[in-house]
Amino acid sequence: MLEIKNLHAIVAEDDKEILRGINLSVKPGEVHAIMGPNGSGKSTLANILAGREDYEITQGSITYLDEDLADMEPEERAHKGVFLAFQYPVEIPGVSNTYFLRAAVNAKRTANGESEMSSMEFMKFIREKVKLLGLKEDLLTRSVNEGFSGGEKKRNEIFQMAVLEPTLCVLDETDSGLDIDALQTVAAGVNALRSEGRSFVIVTHYQRLLNYIVPDFVHILMDGRIVKSGDKSLALELEEKGYGWLDDLAASK
Amino acid sequence: MSKSLVYESGLGSLLAGLSFEKEPQWLADLRAKGNELHNKMGVPTPRNEEWKYTPLRSLASVNWQSGEPGPAVFSQDPTNYAETAIRVFLVNGRFDRNLSEVPATAGLTCMSLRDAIYEKSEVADYLGSVAKIEDHTFAALNSACFVDGLFIHLKAGAMVEPVIEVIHVTSGDEMVIAPRILVVAEENSSAKIIEQYVSDGESKNLTIPVTEVILRKHANVEHVRLQDESETSYNVSLWETLQDESSEYRAYNVAFGAGLGRLDQNIYLNGRNIVTRLDGVVVARGEQILDNHTKLDHAMPDCNSFEIYKQIIDDKATVVFNGKIFVHQDAQKTDAKQTNQALLLSPDATINSKPQLEIFADDVKCTHGATVGQIEDTFRFYMRSRGIPKAEADAILVYAFAAEVLELISDEVVRERLEKRLYKKLGIDFTV
Ligand SMILES: Nc1ncnc2c1ncn2[C@@H]1O[C@H](COP(=O)(O)OP(=O)(O)OP(=O)(O)O)[C@@H](O)[C@H]1O
Ligand SMILES: [Mg+2]
Repeated sequence: MLEIKNLHAIVAEDDKEILRGINLSVKPGEVHAIMGPNGSGKSTLANILAGREDYEITQGSITYLDEDLADMEPEERAHKGVFLAFQYPVEIPGVSNTYFLRAAVNAKRTANGESEMSSMEFMKFIREKVKLLGLKEDLLTRSVNEGFSGGEKKRNEIFQMAVLEPTLCVLDETDSGLDIDALQTVAAGVNALRSEGRSFVIVTHYQRLLNYIVPDFVHILMDGRIVKSGDKSLALELEEKGYGWLDDLAASK
Repeated sequence: MSKSLVYESGLGSLLAGLSFEKEPQWLADLRAKGNELHNKMGVPTPRNEEWKYTPLRSLASVNWQSGEPGPAVFSQDPTNYAETAIRVFLVNGRFDRNLSEVPATAGLTCMSLRDAIYEKSEVADYLGSVAKIEDHTFAALNSACFVDGLFIHLKAGAMVEPVIEVIHVTSGDEMVIAPRILVVAEENSSAKIIEQYVSDGESKNLTIPVTEVILRKHANVEHVRLQDESETSYNVSLWETLQDESSEYRAYNVAFGAGLGRLDQNIYLNGRNIVTRLDGVVVARGEQILDNHTKLDHAMPDCNSFEIYKQIIDDKATVVFNGKIFVHQDAQKTDAKQTNQALLLSPDATINSKPQLEIFADDVKCTHGATVGQIEDTFRFYMRSRGIPKAEADAILVYAFAAEVLELISDEVVRERLEKRLYKKLGIDFTV
């Protein structure tokens, strides 16, 4: 589904290299966790997948469903099923969640040659999603993320994901700042969406999330490279030892 | 006034073609005064500080005619402009009986000003009592040459439920149209009014309305003005309101139209415990120049005024905002808030904004803030990452910026109509 080969990327503004040769292969239905110290490039990778224009790819390639992802506009990627749950979701005053999501859903449907959803159909559809994720209905009329608590913003990201039904879900620290109940809600939301054709790349600092969403692979990103990959036990090992023991490995790459 | 401050203008000669025989003396006096003042003030050049950003040179060069003598015809479907029970069409400044519909409503008089001059004694008391024509050359001209207009009177205690829709249509070319509107809300009365200024097709006229509004004690009026004339039109308006004790006036100026649009809107808070809103949404594109001068005049203690102006400027358009707040010595405990925000959508767009607070009382709360910004990339990227195409994302963000003011309008029909117009102006064609 997603094939990242020797990806190098710089900050477009100042030429600073952040990703320095990432290789990652995600097959349909798989869940990949990415862990790594602050500033190692996890969000950069996630944002590049979504098409943020602050970065420039200098080497390597990203192939998604056999197409070159790097050439696509952010909206085109979304239409083809890429979704990023932001580490810092954006507040958009004056735009209601419902309005926002209907615009998004209909843009996607139009791009894929389907007819737009009527207002009634859409309301029914999102009310079901609200229920599914155990959210409050007032979420729908409120402005996108405006005045939401940290945890509410993260839940709203998962809600948007559930509504947009993407194929590749990239979650950037969706678990950070969540209380235990919210963490379980979010994990349940993700697990409900897990399916054969849908893949997840989950950036997290905590092994705890991976108890609820069990990954097929765990990768450690340090200094712009994946220095080690393994199964879920790697996350437990990290929890125990921290990142220090990997320094030599990172340096040698 | 020295000659260099005015353009030679053919506007004064308009009056030659008009005859106002058999009018009451008070009106003849008003006309004479207006004529004299206009002749004295002429058409101001940019050297006149108050008209610095309103280029009137092109206006001065047109060979203006006075509005057609007979009633002009409106070729559009009137239901596109009004959908509630009380609707009034003024075509080229004249009350149109065929298009208008004013069902009998308890406590409400809503009629041709021309007729009211002869039939209603209040008109003599109030007309010209609020508008300071000595400060406004076009309002002086209006006083000299208005033929008709609208008189709205709310009896004491009258609560008019349906919104009163007033549609000012201009049609034809090179005509000066001078509607005169007088609204009197007696004690404890309430109503909602929307005035829309529209053109019949691409007409190229100069509209110079004068609107006077009087709110007696405890009156409550919501007053929306949509300026939506063709971009080949000129609109230079004076809108003045006098509020008595404990009245509440919510005024919304929505300016989308006219190639050159200038509004002077002044509100006099003349009693205690008054609440006033004076808000604006301005959208200018192409080469439009939209200039709004507002004044809140706090004369008495314990009053609150709120003012939010939202301005969206694209292409090579220019928007001007001048917001005066006067707090006189007696006006202790005044709470006045002014916010003025501009969103620039193009590098060639211009905003000139000038808040002007003059405070002579010591125990007051007065704040003002002005911001100029562009669409934020982080907002845009977030929306695009959800599949919303860039142009639509921008339109939604711009809409949201303006909606903050439109959402304050309490009448749903009016609000929805304005929202639709805003969508159209911004080129978005979907709604939720
Ligand atoms: N747009 C940008 N401009 C300048 N520097 C940037 C930009 N984006 C990322 N960086 C830098 O690149 C490095 C990697 O940042 P990134 O946000 O990808 O880290 P991260 O692994 O997600 O960290 P965290 O765990 O703290 O979220 C950091 O040093 C950061 O300051
Ligand atoms: Mg990060």
